[in-house]
Amino acid sequence: MAGYYDKGKLVESLCSIHPKEILIAYGPKKLLVDKYHWHSPTKGIVASYTPTDFDVEDHFGIFRGVDQIESFVQATAASLSMFLICQKHNCAPEDLRDKSVPSFISVGNVNFMAALEKGDTFVILGKITYYKFKQMVCDGRIYRCPQGLDLDDYFKDFNEERLLKYDLSPDFKLISDLYDITGREIDIEYFRAINKK
Amino acid sequence: MERQEIIDGLIEVLKTVRMIEPEKLVGVTEETDILADLNIPSSEMINIIAKTEKKFNIEFEDDDIDDLDPTVRGIIDLIQRVKERG
Repeated sequence: MAGYYDKGKLVESLCSIHPKEILIAYGPKKLLVDKYHWHSPTKGIVASYTPTDFDVEDHFGIFRGVDQIESFVQATAASLSMFLICQKHNCAPEDLRDKSVPSFISVGNVNFMAALEKGDTFVILGKITYYKFKQMVCDGRIYRCPQGLDLDDYFKDFNEERLLKYDLSPDFKLISDLYDITGREIDIEYFRAINKK
Repeated sequence: MERQEIIDGLIEVLKTVRMIEPEKLVGVTEETDILADLNIPSSEMINIIAKTEKKFNIEFEDDDIDDLDPTVRGIIDLIQRVKERG
């Protein structure tokens, strides 16, 4: 069976839920994913986010590069690995709230080509390059979306081949290129112990 | 499998990790902390564990790695536990 049950509902794809239902450790001000548009559990994901006033406050109206990376890791390693863990253990994200912590482990190269302003909807295209022992490494790109585009409709026939090629219409503007973004679900007791050292 | 035999195998694995300076592998003991003493990032630990699986022809569970003691002793103990588990 692909997916997991949450409150009696089968979640076969992240596209069927709101990000807050799987990124449960992130409070509303820190959640930087609005919606999932395409999901292949072992290959990758397409998700979107639109920066708010809060996101650009005290930063001359620009969504920070560091927040692009955070948004990327939430949409990719954090969401994708939690999905796989829930699927493996046939449990819901809430069942893991007191057991593990999504941890940002490392960042490889990141290149920024352009900026994002408040209200600019962007998509994250994330590819899984490695997954083992609850540690996931992803590469990907962030693109600014054409205004008014229905992203669910645009990505409804998306596939792994198109993901690998970053096959999007030229109306999407490349914002950043990200490599080796690594996250890991860490046992909560272990997490507390290593942070006390 | 004797502990020294496992240490020798682990050192072979560690030699394949580019981030580890070869001179740090001289004098590795059971007390050596793979992360702190060999100065590697924690993200690399998973790659070392994956290589260790292949080297010793064993398979770790996610739970084995959750609270892994990153010393050579911890890894030897884990390998022996997994081998006993079969």
